[in-house]
Amino acid sequence: MKAIIATTILGIIMMFAGIMAKEKKPLTTLATILLVILLGVNIWDLTNTSSLAPESLFNNMLRIDRYALWFNTLMTGCTLLYVLLVGREIQKVGEHVAEYFALIFFILCGVYLLSCYNNLLILFIGIEIMSIPQYILAGSDKRNLKSSEASLKYFLMGAFTTGILLMGITLLYGATGSFNIVSFSFLQSDHLNTLALAGILFIMMAFSFKVSAAPMHMWTPDVYDGSPTAFTAYMATIVKAAAFFAFLRLFQVSFGSLSSHWTFVLAIITAATLLVGNLTAVFQQSVKRMLAYSSIAQAGFMLFAILAVNAVAWQGIIIYAVAYSIATIGIFTVLMKLKDYTYDGFNGLAKKEPLLAFVSTIFLFSLAGIPLTAGFMAKYYVLQALIQQGSLLWLVIFGLLMASISVYYYFRVIIAMYFKQGAAELNSPVSGTDKFMLVFTCFLVILLGIFPQLLLGNI
Amino acid sequence: MSIYEILFWFLTIMAISSALGVILSRNPITSVLFLIVTFFAISGHYILLNAQFLAIVNIIVYAGAIMVLFLFVIMLMNLNADVEPQKGRLLQLAGVIAGGVLFLVILAALKSATVLPLEKTSSDIGLIKNLGRVLFTQFVLPFEISSVLFLSAMIGAIVIGKKEETKNPLTP
Repeated sequence: MKAIIATTILGIIMMFAGIMAKEKKPLTTLATILLVILLGVNIWDLTNTSSLAPESLFNNMLRIDRYALWFNTLMTGCTLLYVLLVGREIQKVGEHVAEYFALIFFILCGVYLLSCYNNLLILFIGIEIMSIPQYILAGSDKRNLKSSEASLKYFLMGAFTTGILLMGITLLYGATGSFNIVSFSFLQSDHLNTLALAGILFIMMAFSFKVSAAPMHMWTPDVYDGSPTAFTAYMATIVKAAAFFAFLRLFQVSFGSLSSHWTFVLAIITAATLLVGNLTAVFQQSVKRMLAYSSIAQAGFMLFAILAVNAVAWQGIIIYAVAYSIATIGIFTVLMKLKDYTYDGFNGLAKKEPLLAFVSTIFLFSLAGIPLTAGFMAKYYVLQALIQQGSLLWLVIFGLLMASISVYYYFRVIIAMYFKQGAAELNSPVSGTDKFMLVFTCFLVILLGIFPQLLLGNI
Repeated sequence: MSIYEILFWFLTIMAISSALGVILSRNPITSVLFLIVTFFAISGHYILLNAQFLAIVNIIVYAGAIMVLFLFVIMLMNLNADVEPQKGRLLQLAGVIAGGVLFLVILAALKSATVLPLEKTSSDIGLIKNLGRVLFTQFVLPFEISSVLFLSAMIGAIVIGKKEETKNPLTP
């Protein structure tokens, strides 16, 4: 697995570059170059793996298949896009720019582990490698008390959840005597082991926390709101997508045959997530906080893929992860340009910066799931996966209802930009590069909305 | 009753009662001291399981280093029982119900669980030599990749701990 080694080495290079660099700008350039190299390594990995037989590495610790490698490549691509869009804002957060980028490389290491783990030990280490840099990034703006609060809150809740995850893994090990996710003994035996079921329940709760599903979502608004916006954009997208991929991998590959036992619990969690996320988002005054609740609501839709234990679910989670990540990174980039994060801060943006207003309209369309954008195809695939599963049609209808509520709060931003009077104040001038990158992201959103097969052709 | 069983029950009662002491005592410092006792009892269990190395590491790292750190932090913060924020009646009730349901789930799971047959292992399985061999063959990936975890934790200590020169204190 070359990408895991590569991202670790590149992270260390990034870390030491901090000693050499006198200014902040070369560090962003270096991070971009290193991410391009990492993307190359991922593609190299992808071309070297045959599409038929999954490959087991390190005594069955990892199992490399095409889905995992393709997911890794896409997430690396999204990270590259993120650094290109947000790089200059990361420089403004604090003094330790090289360390921030190094931590992003280490988060990617956790993402790679989570996409191809075959052993619960690796699942645990992957989640920790992905989480601990996030606690640090959340608290990186040390002059801001809210940032420290976000970091501490995230850390305490995350540590507690890790305990629950470990308890679940322990119960599973007690029931089956194995950490290997494809060789659990309950997969073969005909009688049911309650110890294993309790373990599955614990692991489900831990994952629900990581993907911020209700009722384990309480930390999300505070952490996303308090963290520096540049890092919220990363936490809400790539990290969440990777947690979902790991969730799907475990529950489809290994607990899929027991789905009649856990589907109902997860269906209730999904419905609660959709309800809480969408309804609370309606009442928010700050756009940043609204986006935090919207990320809870979007998690509800991604949970559809976990509930539908079938092949379409894999395609659904990949398309959803990319579509949601691109649009969210885009809208956060626009948000960072503004001085005031409330809805009023968007008033009259269309007159002042027509391009900025236009691209954010497209991103919000995508998040709301309007046709011809990537978000529509993403929702289409996860809903299709759930319809094929068959027994949860009420949840599909409920999901559609909630999606229509979400249109309200996304469109409030658009209405503020185009129809309200006011002078939106910018935090920093929008440079030509910014404009080019935003238009490129916008182009990606529409391209994936018309040809979603581009994301699936490689599997 | 063999000496092994006597030791086992002694350590078990010690572990459970001191663990209860951790959550029941009002004074944080007493809690930490109870936690140290719990760690010692668990280390005793490790020795009974032939895991000598794990027992020593548990005492040195947890009971020694981490708990001393805990004690220092608690003494520095000067926590008392009266500073502790009181939770509302409703929140307490919700906590009791949630905890009771969790207890019920675990109890149900343990009651009808089928116990796996014990594997007979040789008595030197917990020695450093054997542990090292397993770590560097079967579990080499988790062992090596943990270094990334520790590296990011170290970076975190520096990023959060180092004082920043604020050029413009007015920026939020």
